[in-house]
Amino acid sequence: MTVNTIYFTILTFSFRNIMTIFRRSAYSKYNTLSGSELVPSVSLLVPAFNEELTVIENVKCLLTLNYPTYEVIVINDGSSDNTLEVLREEFGLEPLPNPEMRNSIDCQPIRAVYHNPQYPHLFVIDKPNGGKADSLNAGINLSHYPLISSIDADSLLEKDALIRMARMYMENPEETVAIGGDVRIANGCLIENGAVKEVSLPRKMWPMFQAVEYLKAFLGGRIGWSAINGLIIVSGAFGMFRKDYVIAVGGYRGGYPGEDMNIIIKLHRYMLENKLKYRVAFCPEAVCWTQAPDSYRILSNQRKRWGRGNLKNMIENYDMAFNPKYRVMGLLTMPYNIIFEALNPYFKITGLLALVGYTLLDMTNWKILVVFGLINILSGYLLSIGALFLEELAFKRFTKVSDLARLLLFSALKFFGYAQLGGLWRIQGHIQYLRNNNSWGTMTRTSWKEESKAAKTA
Amino acid sequence: MPNTAALQTEIEQSNLYVTIIQKVKESAHEANGVLFIYSVNAPSYLESQISGILESQPGVTFAMWSGHQPGSIAVLLPGQTLDTVHFQGLLLKQRIQEINGDLELHMALSSFPEQGELNEQLLKQMEESAKLSPAGDIHIFTKEEFQPSQTRILIVEGDATVREFLQIRLQMQGYETAVTDNGISALELIESWNPDLVLTELNLYGIDGLPYIHHIQQLNVKTVPKIVVLTEQRVEQTISLCFKSGIDDYITKPFSPVELDARIRRCIH
Amino acid sequence: MYTHLTLAIYFIYVCLGLIGIGIALLFTLRLSHLNKEKKSKYYLQKHQDYFKFIQTHLNGTAALPLPPGKLKELEWRVIQQKCIEWIGQFKGDYREKLVRLCYEAGFVREDIKLLDSLFYGRRIAAAYRLGGMRAAEAVPRLLKMLESEKYTPLTIVVARAVAKSAEQEEQLKEMLQHLLRHGKPIHNMAADIVMESQLDASRLLLKLLDDENPDLVKVALVAMWGQAIPEVVPSLDRLVGAEQTDVRAEAVRLYLSSNPVLKDDTIKSLMADKDWEVRAAVAKSLGSLHAAGSIPLLRSALKDANWWVRNNSAESLTKLGETGFEVLCQVAMNGSGVERETAMYHIERAMQQNNEHEKLDQMVAYNKKKLLYERYFGVAEKRPIRQVAAVGGDYTA
Repeated sequence: MTVNTIYFTILTFSFRNIMTIFRRSAYSKYNTLSGSELVPSVSLLVPAFNEELTVIENVKCLLTLNYPTYEVIVINDGSSDNTLEVLREEFGLEPLPNPEMRNSIDCQPIRAVYHNPQYPHLFVIDKPNGGKADSLNAGINLSHYPLISSIDADSLLEKDALIRMARMYMENPEETVAIGGDVRIANGCLIENGAVKEVSLPRKMWPMFQAVEYLKAFLGGRIGWSAINGLIIVSGAFGMFRKDYVIAVGGYRGGYPGEDMNIIIKLHRYMLENKLKYRVAFCPEAVCWTQAPDSYRILSNQRKRWGRGNLKNMIENYDMAFNPKYRVMGLLTMPYNIIFEALNPYFKITGLLALVGYTLLDMTNWKILVVFGLINILSGYLLSIGALFLEELAFKRFTKVSDLARLLLFSALKFFGYAQLGGLWRIQGHIQYLRNNNSWGTMTRTSWKEESKAAKTA
Repeated sequence: MPNTAALQTEIEQSNLYVTIIQKVKESAHEANGVLFIYSVNAPSYLESQISGILESQPGVTFAMWSGHQPGSIAVLLPGQTLDTVHFQGLLLKQRIQEINGDLELHMALSSFPEQGELNEQLLKQMEESAKLSPAGDIHIFTKEEFQPSQTRILIVEGDATVREFLQIRLQMQGYETAVTDNGISALELIESWNPDLVLTELNLYGIDGLPYIHHIQQLNVKTVPKIVVLTEQRVEQTISLCFKSGIDDYITKPFSPVELDARIRRCIH
Repeated sequence: MYTHLTLAIYFIYVCLGLIGIGIALLFTLRLSHLNKEKKSKYYLQKHQDYFKFIQTHLNGTAALPLPPGKLKELEWRVIQQKCIEWIGQFKGDYREKLVRLCYEAGFVREDIKLLDSLFYGRRIAAAYRLGGMRAAEAVPRLLKMLESEKYTPLTIVVARAVAKSAEQEEQLKEMLQHLLRHGKPIHNMAADIVMESQLDASRLLLKLLDDENPDLVKVALVAMWGQAIPEVVPSLDRLVGAEQTDVRAEAVRLYLSSNPVLKDDTIKSLMADKDWEVRAAVAKSLGSLHAAGSIPLLRSALKDANWWVRNNSAESLTKLGETGFEVLCQVAMNGSGVERETAMYHIERAMQQNNEHEKLDQMVAYNKKKLLYERYFGVAEKRPIRQVAAVGGDYTA
């Protein structure tokens, strides 16, 4: 219940900001900005591990962004498949003799840097496997520009995504240390020439649930959190950072998942401890489309990983919670994340057990059980509707009426089974953490072309 | 000014053209609008409707004949330059469609001697084109279009507004044009359609920027087309890299269409 | 306990009600949006002939006529939208004709009226469109709007509208003052906005360079980047000695881009500047200046703590003929740590780049370098091998 109350407050903040967001994206012409010499240059870092199916399409997409000066750095993290070979063949890449790496951050030694003068803005780093964080650090060491942006190799950026973020950055360049983008589920969309051509909802059940979940988390949650500068995570799939501060906090932390949350917590900590004015912003109009896992096994692996990463981050940074020195971060975000994100499933289980036990002892009170259950579900559903409302007001990405109906339906269905599974996965993640099981789990991808074919035939 | 309506249905085709030419010669005006209207199942009252609409406008004199083919009508508007005839044409079309909804009109129009010396061949060409043009289209004949050049220009532009404008403009100057909105199909078109010049944005879907320029030059074609870049991209380094990789001209947006014409002409000759 | 339950049940009712309203609203919004979209599409189709007419006759001398017939409000909007798109793409006479068309159609008048609307959203939308229509008439009113507003992303929308429409330099300057009064370092954004002006911005920028407000000076410096004209040199001379680090750095960079004749002393003092941006800028420009004393300076700059300074120095050395290249080779052979690494990277780069030259004089220069390269590193077997992990880290951005 308390969760929902806080969530409502956050949603209110989201609502307060939504019209500004809508207007600033509707009343900005990006085409003039996207050719301007005055826009800061960005290095895109793309860690790739066993992505031979999607990597070409993604790199092609990243090479055609609407942006004046940027470079794409793909980091092949010791893939066991042909990721490097397909890249080399497609773009005619040759190893650079004596590539210059600035050892600003510790990372594993790299094997080689590949480049082709015909694609002056593309670099591929080949290095032994060291995890996503290590790959990003290697990318930072090679990068030439003052802003960096981390992008998952399974995501497609909209052509304007980067310039929209940069516009937000330019509005307040000194204080902005990180900007997160909006992540949406691409399953079911029609993809052509490395761009989402027609937006549509996923047809399979698991991606559909995730689409609803993402919508709620990004629009309902993150807009509000960023309004009070309490954003704890910038999605690893698409975020932009100031390189100097990332280097100042020592880069990404390796060894555990959840490096995207970790870097943000570290940035908050660094800025607050050094009493610097800053903001971690969220730019919902910059959209990145990602492939959601579409089978139970992969999804549960992903969620367990998240649970593990979240717990690790919370344990590492527990000192920030309830510490007024850390402002919103210490007083609201951290406690919220520890109690309602990390420990939430346990509360739910104990609460449920207590209620069930209580009613079993005294069957006459079954009413209470029903009422509590209903309140929980209904208020949760109201939140989902709030998020849909934000979408409808500002973005209008889904065009069909039937899509709206499906979103509403799945938002409701989510409470029966999916939400509980989410709790279960999180607990399993925690168990893995305690057992020191640190595998990344498998993630299989479908090539974008197949995705798109499926969307066309449907 | 009194409106003169002459409706002569029994005129032979060649006679019709001769009459129009005669009228234009006799006319005291600098310009005389000629308009051909064609409709597949034209109702019998279409002609009277047209003359009714034209009469209702102050200051418009006109003469009207039935064309040789069924459903074809020729209108002469003395004193009207190309733009006024064009406006007259779209006005007519709008009014007629307001009255009888889904009637499909084809039009071809021009003005003489503003757009060249009038002869039977030209008139025939116009009447044919009115009949053959896609439904709802208003085809404008300019001086350049009566003698089309053999130069082919491929327009590659993601923005629909600019694309449309460029196509209209280049067609009016007598170039043969083709359009596309992304880099991949541009490369395919260059190979299959063999344009003499590619007028392209740098920022495209599929493939863009320098790799795109490189790809054009490596295509399997007899002669690599001239490349004129028209883009938002104003970063100096990119511009110089583009010239290094062999493009012929670089124009930044917002652009002056007059300047664009000149630069294209310079590249072709 | 019982009252709690009733309360809870009431709460459920409230939730249910809200959910009902929410769903209803969602569907209405969706449907009305779809409807509007469908209508806009239809109107676009309907006026296609008119649009083609406009595009065909933009080059004529006569003023453009308004679309025929009586039009609905949304129809006017669709036409206005199209005109704004064109205005954004064209320059010169074509733009002016379209601007006049917008004015005659009453779009400008309508939107100026909307600037006084009670709804903030409408005011912003109107401001945006007025900018799109280059409505000079609206500028004073827009400036007032800018003055009273606090800093939000939408301030920039209004500022852009002013920049696009302004017909006097003073207005641009006022806009900048309002924009920068919030104390945010948004000079790049401000410069980008100024460059949208139809006026010849260079005169205004020249004036701004001598302004007492350092923020305006910075905007001017940023905006002038890449187009330094001889007239600015006196102002720059003064600014090179400015107090604020960023003003100085920008001024130096701009100054150097105008290919000035530098005295050795000036170079020396600039290369010893405490700000790395200044040093980096000087190092970069030395490559094309061919000043006599620059090689030893660049040689020692290879040890600089900043990556950019090192990198630019090495790059300049590769451009300074055989002597410069030889210095690099020496460093690569005998140096250590970061300087060695920088040198090696640039040697390889130069060798690779030069490979592609075809002209005779370039070939000669390349071959000279190649001889040097082979003397130092042998033909194939003794290539410089990069050592993993340089000594010490580099903590600059």
